Amino acid sequence: MDAGLAEVRALEAEIAALRRACEEPPAPAEDAAGGQKSFQEVYQSDSGGWESLEDLRSHLGHLESELLFLSALTGINIRNYSKKTEDLTSTEMTEKSIKKVLQRHRLSGNCHTITFQLEFQILEIQNKESLSSVITDLNIIMEPTEYSELSEFVSRAEEKRDLFMFFRSLHFFVEWCEYRKRTFQHFKEKYPEAVHLTEGASSSCMGVRSTSQPGFELVIVWRIQIGEEGKVLPKLDLLTQVPLGALELDKNRVTETAPLSFRTLLGVLGIEATLESLIKLLSTEAND
Amino acid sequence: MSQEGSCKSEEMELANTLSTHGESKGGVLAHLERLEIHMNRSRKKLEEPQGAQALGSALGTKIQKLRRLRDKLRAEVKQRQAGVKASTANVEPDQTLDMSEQEVLERKRENLKAILQAYRFTGLSGKLTSRGVCVCINTAFEGNLLDSYFVDLVIQKPLRIHHHSIPVFIPLEEISAKYLQTNIQHFLFSLCEYLNAYSGRKYQADRLQSDFAAFLAGPLQRNALCNLLSFTYKVEPGGQSFPFCARLLYKDLTLTLPTDVTITYQGMEALSTSWEEQRASHANLFRTKPLHQVFTSFARKGETLDMSLVS
Repeated sequence: MDAGLAEVRALEAEIAALRRACEEPPAPAEDAAGGQKSFQEVYQSDSGGWESLEDLRSHLGHLESELLFLSALTGINIRNYSKKTEDLTSTEMTEKSIKKVLQRHRLSGNCHTITFQLEFQILEIQNKESLSSVITDLNIIMEPTEYSELSEFVSRAEEKRDLFMFFRSLHFFVEWCEYRKRTFQHFKEKYPEAVHLTEGASSSCMGVRSTSQPGFELVIVWRIQIGEEGKVLPKLDLLTQVPLGALELDKNRVTETAPLSFRTLLGVLGIEATLESLIKLLSTEAND
Repeated sequence: MSQEGSCKSEEMELANTLSTHGESKGGVLAHLERLEIHMNRSRKKLEEPQGAQALGSALGTKIQKLRRLRDKLRAEVKQRQAGVKASTANVEPDQTLDMSEQEVLERKRENLKAILQAYRFTGLSGKLTSRGVCVCINTAFEGNLLDSYFVDLVIQKPLRIHHHSIPVFIPLEEISAKYLQTNIQHFLFSLCEYLNAYSGRKYQADRLQSDFAAFLAGPLQRNALCNLLSFTYKVEPGGQSFPFCARLLYKDLTLTLPTDVTITYQGMEALSTSWEEQRASHANLFRTKPLHQVFTSFARKGETLDMSLVS
């Protein structure tokens, strides 16, 4: 009898406990799974804690604005980058506490309409006193463009392994090309009859024909050169086409001295004003 | 399956959940364990003597009922715990969607971070700060990556430099006065020019001192800007050639080659023609080639010693 009652009491106690367990809400950690999607808590191993999707998005936004700033500043838009590291330290070197590492970098992107792909190697040697980093190999692939001046420049940059000069000069070169294009286009639009762009807007020549006097033509050749040290300079020249008859009448040899006068004018008026004055010279529509 | 074991583990879980109510874990668990043991003993006792069974038939029924209820509740508790996991499982498809959006964004972030790192290879990189931007200028000379400098700019009107690591002998004030307010890009590119040239000159002077000390007949005299170098050298280390005195002036601070080269010799006698020629060719070498490369060529020439030059 006692045993039975005891068991009853035991069972009742257990039932009570079980009932309480059933009423207990489940542990919070498991409940989050049913929570809202936008505040999905996921463990971020590298930021060392729980990071929400919102945080991730805002961090991305910050990085994107940083990228926009850098690409505007340098004029270079890097789209892809990867790096591989190879440890070349031998056991002898480790004994002398020298560390030798070879890095292989791959980088691609564009500067306006010109795309590039770079592969270069950097050898890092660390000894007790200092760390030296040397670019040991540089390979540059450019998308074939109408800019022939670039291929020579690229080979020079590869030979000198001058990465910084490559990017800086590329940026300035492209800026000058864009400026030249805009300037030529502007004059073409302003004086459609007189101005001729033989190779289109990206050409390096602008022809100015006289609308009233056929046979007279001035050709402005605008080249953009990249010097040995990477300095980008515009070089403008004037070519004249004058009918023989006119040449005979040209006692003051204006035609002969024109190219030189052109250079002087450039120095005084600058590119745009010089070109405009030349067009006005020949074109009647300009003088209307 | 060890009934006791599984019961115990359930009770552990129970104990854990119950402990959130403030009851001491040890107390509840111990209590339940005792009940369990007690129960088992009681069951055994009930099963043994036949006599007792008749007495407690009503009790026995109750006990059976209670047992059934208890088992049911145990199963329910078990199910609840499994059920929560099941509900997690149900959410999983959505969870995977979020996971993949998250994965996509994370991958994008890693990619962006790498690209931002890569900008240092253009010579100019930087980070946005709360005040504006901190730009890092990297320098290099002939493929050797050298020191970096930074300029911390505050985006305000007027734009100002909050903090920088530009050496004092670089004309920062001059360059800022010219360009900072009108064209940040021009300002930074100009600084780049000066810093890269300085780094290059410094590198050449350092290399001369460290690698070609044997060719120098005295210490290399240099200024902080490394644009005025003065030294006495011999074409052959410790050889029979006359020592020449070289004075290199780099007037253009954006260049790594000297603008003015003066080579004189310490001696009273007039130089022979061959020495004169050599002096002229050296002057030309110093003007057109980096300093350490000039000495590298001396070292190579020294290997094929022309006896006719030794007087």
